Amino acid sequence: MEKHIISDPYPMTGRRHTALFTAVLTVLFTSLLSPSTALSQGNTAAEAATQLLKADLEGKRKALAAITQSSDARVGRFLQAYLGSEIYLWNDDFVTFDGSTDERVVAVLDAFTRSPLDASGALVKVSELGVSLSAPRRLRRDLQNTARIFDLLSDEPEARTLSATKLGDSGNPAFLGPLEKALEVESDSDVRFVLEESVAILRLQDAENTALEARLDAARTLGEFGSSRAAPVLIRLLDEIGDSGDQASTEKIFRASLSKIESYEAKIRLLGYIFSGVSLGSILILMALGLSIIFGQMGVINMAHGEMMMVGAYATFWMHEFFVHYMPEGLFNVYFIVALPFAFLVAAAVGFVTELVVVRHLYGRPLETLLATWGVSLVLIQAIRLLHGDNSAINNPTWLRGGAEVLQNFVLPYNRCFIIVLCLLALFGVRALMNRTRFGLRVRATVQNRDMADSLGVRTRRVDGLTFAFGAGLAGTAGYALTLIGGITPDMGQNYIVDSFLVVVTGGVGELIGTVGAGMGLGVLNKFIEPSTGAVWGKVLILAVVIVFIQWRPEGLFPPKGRVADV
Amino acid sequence: MKRFLALCAIATLVVSVFGCTQEGGSDTSSTASSTAKSAGGESVKIGILHSLSGTMAISETSLKDVVLMAAEEINAKGGVLGKKIDPVVVDPASDWDLFAEKARDLITKEEVAVTFGCWTSVSRKSVLPVFEQYNELLFYPVQYEGEEQSLNVFYTAATPNQQLVPAAEYMMAEGSTKFYLLGTDYVFPRTANKVLKAFLKSKGVPDANVIEEYTPFHHQDYQTIVGKIKKFAAGGGACVLSTINGDSNVPFYKEFANQGLTSADCPIMAFSVAEDELRAMDVPPLVGHLACWNYYQSIDTPENNEFVKNFKAFCAKHNLPGGSSRVTDDPIEAAYFGVYVWKAAVEKANSFDVDKVRKAVYGLEFDAPGGRKSMHASNQHTLKPVYVGEILANGQFKIVWNSDGLVSPDSYSRYLHPDGKFPAPTGGPKKVSTSKNH
Repeated sequence: MEKHIISDPYPMTGRRHTALFTAVLTVLFTSLLSPSTALSQGNTAAEAATQLLKADLEGKRKALAAITQSSDARVGRFLQAYLGSEIYLWNDDFVTFDGSTDERVVAVLDAFTRSPLDASGALVKVSELGVSLSAPRRLRRDLQNTARIFDLLSDEPEARTLSATKLGDSGNPAFLGPLEKALEVESDSDVRFVLEESVAILRLQDAENTALEARLDAARTLGEFGSSRAAPVLIRLLDEIGDSGDQASTEKIFRASLSKIESYEAKIRLLGYIFSGVSLGSILILMALGLSIIFGQMGVINMAHGEMMMVGAYATFWMHEFFVHYMPEGLFNVYFIVALPFAFLVAAAVGFVTELVVVRHLYGRPLETLLATWGVSLVLIQAIRLLHGDNSAINNPTWLRGGAEVLQNFVLPYNRCFIIVLCLLALFGVRALMNRTRFGLRVRATVQNRDMADSLGVRTRRVDGLTFAFGAGLAGTAGYALTLIGGITPDMGQNYIVDSFLVVVTGGVGELIGTVGAGMGLGVLNKFIEPSTGAVWGKVLILAVVIVFIQWRPEGLFPPKGRVADV
Repeated sequence: MKRFLALCAIATLVVSVFGCTQEGGSDTSSTASSTAKSAGGESVKIGILHSLSGTMAISETSLKDVVLMAAEEINAKGGVLGKKIDPVVVDPASDWDLFAEKARDLITKEEVAVTFGCWTSVSRKSVLPVFEQYNELLFYPVQYEGEEQSLNVFYTAATPNQQLVPAAEYMMAEGSTKFYLLGTDYVFPRTANKVLKAFLKSKGVPDANVIEEYTPFHHQDYQTIVGKIKKFAAGGGACVLSTINGDSNVPFYKEFANQGLTSADCPIMAFSVAEDELRAMDVPPLVGHLACWNYYQSIDTPENNEFVKNFKAFCAKHNLPGGSSRVTDDPIEAAYFGVYVWKAAVEKANSFDVDKVRKAVYGLEFDAPGGRKSMHASNQHTLKPVYVGEILANGQFKIVWNSDGLVSPDSYSRYLHPDGKFPAPTGGPKKVSTSKNH
């Protein structure tokens, strides 16, 4: 247990050897960029690689120093494989393979060149390879840094960005040389930005070798960038200057940069609150829309609304399973598009059956409806639990992973953008349906005056069933959207039922604009309160706000106008 | 018509009253149970007290399954002291008060010789007074916050110094200097974070580098928190020590990945995410993040491979959800070897009597699927190895660090009690005997 002594928790390695290290690294980098020496150094690199794997700790250090001299581009990937425990000693050869360890048989490759060991392409069982080699703990940091320097020239922009970020954050001025050299050849603008930022951060801290003017320039640049990475460094430097007053001009420039960074951070924080508020609001609106139609237009308190949503989520899961097991792999992402109407229809079907069997007999009796639909919700939860257990894993489509970095350090996740768009579509769809179609006309007629509608030939029973089904279908769409945010469990509907009712009641029963207003309002309010109070107290405060609001204005934000039948 | 309906209602009422008194399908043996534990009986009852529904069902159902498998295996080899094990399964449904009621039923009505159960600390704390009142035994197989030592409980899983502290040490050795302690709001994360903060402070980490935050159960919206973590992690050296429990893990990891954070920027070290939870999660956003346990399914030994194979076959044979794609993890292994530890102690004591069995457990060495382990000589806990694992794309873990041998458990954390003064153990034999005589 005492193996892992923490000798240096603050990684400021190599400060003593800065000059020598810089020299070595600059030499290495220049040689990396000159292709003529590549061939002759290739053998040396392979030999050094073998030595690195074979020798004892001292031998390993020597081999690492030798390998950093090489200009072989394969060194980076080799070192990462070593650090990732992907190299094995097999029949006296050092080998690795592509792919993951859960494959039974693999094609064995040479650890350094990554060319197949057996030209005939024979496969080897992974279990025969034994235990992978592990890089000694004390060498890991140096291995990692060397690998990162090589990765500055990797083919993948993400690898270059990651290396540039890590080398900059290390605070070690020895990496200035390689970063500057990489900047000379970098063409990708995003990677260039990170490289410039890292160079500036390292220059800023390099009191020994960088002129003061250059350091102040770096500080100004970082202020312009709004660089969050530089903030802790500036704070530390200002601490070191202290209150002595003899570096007043330096201090002034550092403080100016720091405040520029902080005001940029405040700006994107505000934008973040607005976006999260809109995102949460869009989810609340989607959930509450169906409830608003059922509760508002039909006077039915549907406690199974959360479960209709859960059914929609499981319908998405069924479509996912279908595509995973029965459709070719390339079509995987299509499952999500097909799942939208499918989730709507499945939830609508469940809603239709619920209305037919349970709710139809209880119109005008809100308490009984409440109880009966609560019973339906329990039945649905347990039925799904019997079918699927409590564990269901769903993979989101690949085109909805990740986000768009619209501003530096400000990412809008694709899944949330999708949900906002979906919410808008649902709103327009509902409005169009209610106001521009014959079905909507019949619904409005039934709600306003059932007897008159009956005598005019509207089949009110049929309209009731279809309206309920439509509301349930909208809940199903909300469930479909929620598979992007969280997991799928049989009781996931219980998490949202209270919020849905809050939105409907706050917004004014029966008014679409009320649902939108309340949903957005509660969402944004929640996101502005949460950062200062934490999630737990944030929820408490929102509930308190709603309670006070309802006392003051019981009809909600947008009360229905005119004569409306009592619920 | 009305009278007919009334008659139907009365009939339904009568039938359901009869139905309600048939509890758990085990009352057929209620008259026989009083002899079940005494020397002449053919079988011995054990209680299984795990949630099979509600929020904890995701995690606890597998524990019930593996205890049933252990009982089946033991019965196939002749049982315990010649008696077949008769498992009594109850469902406390993630309702902490119901846990205590069910525990009392198991002890007084079913007269079980031992109980295997509980997961959340709040459920364990609910049943503790019941087990102490009747001087019965509970085997508790889940990692927890420590600060407890009851003579009526054997803790077969990790204490903070066997999980939290080694994990924090590992993160520090890997270069972490800033720690974001994020947890679900209940006793385990709150106490765990107390221990972690005390530990980090003792290692010289400044207070500004440690942030502590809590979310309620079922919390789904982590946008604000991930935004905070992003800012905290700018400049490198940050990590998240996560005690988030239950279905909140999925939205947290998803939001984390979607806002552009990776395990290279800010690794998440989770203490409540194991193979069984990963089975229900969208794994790609989690790859590269870490967890710390005393066992992984990926431990490659013949004994463990055999155990994994048997568990999968058991689930397939009994048509349990998931079937042969079920996985094993640390709590599952702990629940499993708990049964064998009890069996070995009973055989060593040659009796089912609680006080004799308790004495026999102390210092017991045994072979668990993950390797050799032993019971502590006095503090009710288990000596276990510690492993840090990295999540792979297939929902399994790659072991990246392991402790040097078995780690001895501290029931009370030395970071919260630096003077070494711990409260005395609770429970145990009563002076006036109210315990059941076997």
